[in-house]
Amino acid sequence: MLKKIRMWFEVRIGLDDLIKTKVLDYRIPKNINIFYTLGFIAMIAYAVQAVTGILLFIYYIPHPDHAFRSVQDIMTKVPYGWLFRQMHVVGSNLMITVAILHMITVFLMGNYKRPRELTWFGGALSLLFTITFGFSGYLLPWTQLSYWATTVVTSIPTALPVIGEPIAHILKGGDHVTASTLSRFFALHVAILPPLFLTLMGIHLFLINRIGISATPFGIVDEEKRPLTEYKRKIHPDGYPYYPSFFQKQMYMMMGYFAVMFFIITFFPTMFFPDEANTPADPFRTPSQIRPAWYLLAPYQLMKLIPNKFFGITLMAILAAIFLLWPFLDTYREKNVLKRPVLRGVFMFLLITWVVLLFWGRT
Amino acid sequence: MRYFFLSLMMIVVLPSIGVTGYRENFEQEFLTKTWSGEQVEENLCISCHSSDKMKPEFRSITDAWQASWHGQNNISCEHCHGGDPKDAKTSMSPQRGFVGTPRYQEVPDFCGKCHIGILSNFIESGHGKALRAARKAPNCVTCHGSHGIRKASIDIINEQLCSRCHSYERAKIMKQALFLTEKKIGQLETGLEELRREGIYPEADEKSLFSTQAEFRALFHTVDVDLVKDRTEEFTAKLDLIDRNIRATYRELRFRKNFSAFLMLAFTGMGIVIFLLSQSKED
Repeated sequence: MLKKIRMWFEVRIGLDDLIKTKVLDYRIPKNINIFYTLGFIAMIAYAVQAVTGILLFIYYIPHPDHAFRSVQDIMTKVPYGWLFRQMHVVGSNLMITVAILHMITVFLMGNYKRPRELTWFGGALSLLFTITFGFSGYLLPWTQLSYWATTVVTSIPTALPVIGEPIAHILKGGDHVTASTLSRFFALHVAILPPLFLTLMGIHLFLINRIGISATPFGIVDEEKRPLTEYKRKIHPDGYPYYPSFFQKQMYMMMGYFAVMFFIITFFPTMFFPDEANTPADPFRTPSQIRPAWYLLAPYQLMKLIPNKFFGITLMAILAAIFLLWPFLDTYREKNVLKRPVLRGVFMFLLITWVVLLFWGRT
Repeated sequence: MRYFFLSLMMIVVLPSIGVTGYRENFEQEFLTKTWSGEQVEENLCISCHSSDKMKPEFRSITDAWQASWHGQNNISCEHCHGGDPKDAKTSMSPQRGFVGTPRYQEVPDFCGKCHIGILSNFIESGHGKALRAARKAPNCVTCHGSHGIRKASIDIINEQLCSRCHSYERAKIMKQALFLTEKKIGQLETGLEELRREGIYPEADEKSLFSTQAEFRALFHTVDVDLVKDRTEEFTAKLDLIDRNIRATYRELRFRKNFSAFLMLAFTGMGIVIFLLSQSKED
């Protein structure tokens, strides 16, 4: 019976061939390291968000009169609703962390270099989308924390002359954060971003598959130094088979991801739920401290430090553009960051600045 | 490409620097102003009473109110004194319900507009009857204060305050009758606050505790020790129900912790097994 089912699929989709070419015969570079699994872990993180998000979507009511209550019902009345919400909230933060780590490792290993410029661009854009996911989801529980953090963040575009006010108005659906804002953010979170993000992911994966996986630049001569005038898929005939060696790496990293997630849920269940996150939104009472989520703290602190807000927001836009288009700016062929002290220095400076701004923003 | 990008940066950055000073108000207020101020129109009572034009004794009213229990719960000037805090012309107009400061004997009715249950009990009490008879008697402000009113507690009944009018003995008996119930209320308040810190919003129990507490404290205003003793059991039963709910929530939180710890250990275990398998393959 099982053989019949297998043959049924084999005739129609060529399962055997697919497994042979993409799993068993697929070769990965010999010097590949554990950091190469981060892209896969990011995909798993997105999948967890999608599944838990759908479960929350069943019970959540996107209206200011019901949003907070419905979230509380998920936490207290829906069987295991607390688990799905905790997984969604902790998962969203872990997802952004994994995506950032993925980008950092890709950067350090020079894997954004030609012909992978578009792969980097798609990945970097996905990170911005991920942050937008986090930001749009932040408002949905309609708590004091989410309400006021959204009020501050949606006011930032008003620093732009002429177009600033209309942008803020479109974001909020009015002058203030109201039911319209909630509807807009809800639509953005569950209907607009997911298809866009999935398309982007599809392109990202297609490019990775088409161009072939890149080796680390450490300890080998990189053949991509040759002029790239025609398409050639990067293959590693002398590499390890994907299955089982790299597949096992991916699997234990995935288990590690879930272990970290449940470690936070077990021992720090309120890590992402300060007091303001358990209080319904009150537009007439400003909390003593308003600050956005941790992943927006560094730009938020930078905005506070720069006296001219228009200059601040322009600087943000430029930094985002540099981040997105970095492979087009860095045209040196050397992939190994260890042989590029200036780039290494700039990277360390940016990383330290980001961490300092993040912690500064918290205080 | 780099030169194109550098040119683009110059095009964007230069005008940015050029318009330094753009929208100064925004810069000054950004992230420092009270954001709710955008949504709440200015309260003229507060702005006028806190201005330098006001006599010092009237100026302190706004500070006292802001730190008070009323202030913390958004009970504003017009809720007690009437008038229109949004319109300077009619802010103190009797046509807009402005009543100003009540006379000493009118204070219970003034506060009783909101504290209805307490008013009826107070009127029937020895304190209330004496006040109606225009004898020397306390009104609400005597014990609770006015603009700087604090959250009511059993500590209001104290020798220093009560002995201003009569001996403390009877008040002491009343305090003893209230003590256990008040203590229980305090414990439940702490328990509910801790639940909030654990990420739970115990709205139903908070409301139940609030109404039970309000009812119990309203009863105290009869100043009838026997009545308080007779009805204590009824209040204890209500408080016990809240207590049971809090304990059940803690049990649920313990279950959650154990369940997620189990998942954490399961994934850690699976991760270790796969890791060891991968190492043995490599060997």
